[in-house]
Amino acid sequence: MAEDRIYDLVIIGGGPGGYTAALYAARAGLKTMVLEKLSAGGQMALTEQVENYPGFEAGIDGFALGQKMQRQAERFGAGTAYAEVTSLDLNAWPRVVETSEGTFFARTVILATGANPRPLGLEGEEGLVGRGVAYCAACDGMAYRGKTVAVVGGGNSAAADALVLSRIAKKVILIHRRDTLRATKIYHGALAQAPNVEPRWNSVVTELLQDGRLTGIRVKDVHTGAEAVEPCDGLFISVGRQPATELVRGRLELDEQGYILAGETTQTSVPGVYAVGDVRTKPLRQVITAASDGAVAAHMAERFLAEREP
Amino acid sequence: MAALNMNKEQFEQMVGGGKTVLVDFWAPWCGYCRRIGPAYEQIAQSWSDTVTVAKVNIDEEPALAEGQRIDVIPTLVLYRDGKVLGSVVAPGSKAAIEQFLRRNLEG
Repeated sequence: MAEDRIYDLVIIGGGPGGYTAALYAARAGLKTMVLEKLSAGGQMALTEQVENYPGFEAGIDGFALGQKMQRQAERFGAGTAYAEVTSLDLNAWPRVVETSEGTFFARTVILATGANPRPLGLEGEEGLVGRGVAYCAACDGMAYRGKTVAVVGGGNSAAADALVLSRIAKKVILIHRRDTLRATKIYHGALAQAPNVEPRWNSVVTELLQDGRLTGIRVKDVHTGAEAVEPCDGLFISVGRQPATELVRGRLELDEQGYILAGETTQTSVPGVYAVGDVRTKPLRQVITAASDGAVAAHMAERFLAEREP
Repeated sequence: MAALNMNKEQFEQMVGGGKTVLVDFWAPWCGYCRRIGPAYEQIAQSWSDTVTVAKVNIDEEPALAEGQRIDVIPTLVLYRDGKVLGSVVAPGSKAAIEQFLRRNLEG
């Protein structure tokens, strides 16, 4: 075991939860490493404008905020490795984290793996990603200038995606399985005023049509059972998120939706292992609640180490 | 070495010049593209012995992107002796980019 690879705290995931934990832990003097598979910020990095993180009165670009959080944690000595974690042994001491950049050893672990877009689960969906199927209008919308796209979902992110796309695409078909959007009121008026947004209420997508690229979708009316083909160039899927828990499934207790069970203390079912941000069971998943979790988890890890070590 | 920002002339010179070149076709407005940036710069450093790591801004070089049939970004294309060895769209991690390189260079 290489001594320099042993950390007081290894944080898996470099979003706002992960880097806030790193900031607090590094400032408390813990030897801290963040393992991030791509770049700082997590889901926030794909948000063009974060409008509800206090202190940035004009809003701030999510990617830039992620980089700021990373630099702030690193200023106090936290490290970052662009590493993908392949397996995790939480019962060993120190705990063993296998990654694409070698093995790391950790006395305490914070899981800050976040959540990913939930797929519809239709045949051929995965293969069509980047070829007509997308999960983020702000990221991929520009490729559909002047084209016809569909958006599936009824929450805030589906409504926001439909609005973004209405300014780019020729036509936006908004498909929702209920007769009204679940999205907050402020979206309803804006959508009603967008002349090229056509809602299809009480409808679900049952099939993806393709010739190597998406060419259209089959849409079913959930009340009448009637089906119709809607030709389109793009389908933006916005039906919620699923927690990234592949590494700990079967080892940590999860709630019914698959989120890691941990309360206000972020303590999971294994001592010295904490869950922060979107991967934790909680009522509100926002940048600020992730950051708040990170601060608490770092504090708990510090306390765990103080009690455990002579 | 940092990833080289190429225009059409540099692209033709490098890719046609018998070297192994990895090119990231990207644009400033593309969120995924920005996310790849930090890991891509590290790859430019650690692979500099075997691969020239470069990028093309498709907004500045639309004809080049069209000529290479790039219709989704970010697309990473690996060239050797002017030929395409392989390509990958929106890789999800630094590890995924390195796997792509190893798979195509060892074959």
